[in-house]
Amino acid sequence: MVNHRLVLDLVERVGTAARHGTVSVSLGDGDPEQLSATVAAWCTRTGNELVAVQGNVATVRRGRSLDPLAELAPDLLPGTRLWMYTNFDCNLACDYCCARSSPQAARRALGIDRVRQLATEAVDAGVAELILTGGEPFLLPDIDELVAACTAALPTTLLTNGMLFRGRRLDALRRMDRSRLALQISLDSATPDQHDQHRGRGSWERAVAGIRIARDEGFRVRIAATLPYEKTHELGPFHDFLDSLGIATEDQVIRALAHRGAAEDGIELTLESLIPEVTITAEGVYWHPVSADHDDQLVTRDIFPLQEAITEVRRRFTEQRAHATAAAQWFPCA
Amino acid sequence: MSSPLIVGSVAYTPNVVTIWEGIRDYFKGTSAEMDFVLFSNYGRQVDALVDGTIDVAWNTNLAWVRTVAQTDGACRALAMRDTDTVFQTIFVGRTGSGIGGLDGLKHRRLALGSRDSAQAAILPVYFLDHAGPGADAVELVRIDSDVGKHGDTGRSELDALRTVLDGHADAAAIGINTWEAIGRDELMPGAFEAFWESPTYSHCNFTALPRVPQERTQPWLDHLLAMDWDNPDHRPILEMEGLRQWVPPQLDGYASLFEAVREQAIPPRW
Ligand code: SF4
Repeated sequence: MVNHRLVLDLVERVGTAARHGTVSVSLGDGDPEQLSATVAAWCTRTGNELVAVQGNVATVRRGRSLDPLAELAPDLLPGTRLWMYTNFDCNLACDYCCARSSPQAARRALGIDRVRQLATEAVDAGVAELILTGGEPFLLPDIDELVAACTAALPTTLLTNGMLFRGRRLDALRRMDRSRLALQISLDSATPDQHDQHRGRGSWERAVAGIRIARDEGFRVRIAATLPYEKTHELGPFHDFLDSLGIATEDQVIRALAHRGAAEDGIELTLESLIPEVTITAEGVYWHPVSADHDDQLVTRDIFPLQEAITEVRRRFTEQRAHATAAAQWFPCA
Repeated sequence: MSSPLIVGSVAYTPNVVTIWEGIRDYFKGTSAEMDFVLFSNYGRQVDALVDGTIDVAWNTNLAWVRTVAQTDGACRALAMRDTDTVFQTIFVGRTGSGIGGLDGLKHRRLALGSRDSAQAAILPVYFLDHAGPGADAVELVRIDSDVGKHGDTGRSELDALRTVLDGHADAAAIGINTWEAIGRDELMPGAFEAFWESPTYSHCNFTALPRVPQERTQPWLDHLLAMDWDNPDHRPILEMEGLRQWVPPQLDGYASLFEAVREQAIPPRW
């Protein structure tokens, strides 16, 4: 016996919802598959959206859902930038490192072959910028080759702590394509204290020296500061200092500390709160660079084809936003 | 710049807010800016139109008939939805009931929607009288679940259909919009079938009084009629409000309702 009231209930319940609002309707008695199919057919016919059927309850959204991808600013569309973790070992062991990097960390290098293939496929997949990060990429003996493979394909940013620009590593830096590469160097404060407190004694001085070398060598240098949220407001002196180093205002990036990796506190980042940034490590494709050390944010172990990996990240983002929006409707403020 | 034209509408679902904010935005920056006021029922809205609180009312067919009565015809309809020009009442029964037409309702039970709903109560009685066995020959089961909103919520019609499913009525009279909303007889095979469809009649329109001169309403009307289904910015509003195009009013489509209101001595307000 089919529940003939089902469609009547749907019309009534959805009729009382605001656009994009969701309602739940009990399927009632009958074959659940057949009843679900009826709800799906009704939604198709009336331009509404079946969000989910769980147990004996169908959740329906009034109208078609917003396409979360279309809602994003174009430069936030997942796959606009491609992050690659070149390696996970580092000469430092910062206490807030989201990759848990340190001199003891295993290298887990992505390797020149994969980097080259990624750079090539990135062009066809519509990626606009490549970003190399670690660990400390300058620990790799072939870092200049990795960078060359990337800059040959797309504009590239290389994240570094800037402390290793000596000897053969300085030579490697000098071989890089200044017209296609920007260096992003971490510096947390205008004076050593704050920076050294998290990153190790003497690290501020060497980072500042590295910034000067990179600038002298003619590279565009972007400075990224990682600060506890409460310190992200009083930044006047810091910006003055960066100005004095010749860093363009738009290249002075301040971000709040994330609670990930080795950080003990910081703002909570979850899958739901992060717009994905497609990130590749030796282990696979991750949701976002701040969580490349977390299995819960592994999207797939299959790095290639890159286009499919990007499509999968976008698909999950769309699905997750749809569910988050539906869930949010369950907890309206009274 | 002149002050915005104030348009009244009845808030029969939360979606009404979204619809009118969309329409208001559509007029923003034009020479015919508008704002809207929402009412809880049509009686209140027609009062506000007559006393000048609002310049234009988005009226149901019964509210139009009431406005004509209260102003001795000194009011004008500005526009309606394309769907308002071809509204119908559908008489439905259980699949296989074999009612076979209005005459088949003789001595049977017909569920009607709210008594102030033209499509689900007033006109069905009129159709029984003029094209069927006469309302007196039919046992009417009235379901007044949303009085004041002239059947806009559709709730009383859904309740009428439930009454049929429960076996407490043999048939129900509903608006074509509700019949479409439940997927006609296609989504739930074995549930309902239509056995009589009324001639088309007019439903809602934008109503104005002479106090608001045509110089004020015409630029607004011109811009309204320019709303374009193929324009992605306009489309969501049109979809939500249930039309493809705004069209000039078809006043002869109200003749049956005027006659029905007179014959049934429908009181001046609900
Ligand atoms: S934050 Fe950067 S510099 Fe510090 S340990 Fe991690 S990778 Fe190395």
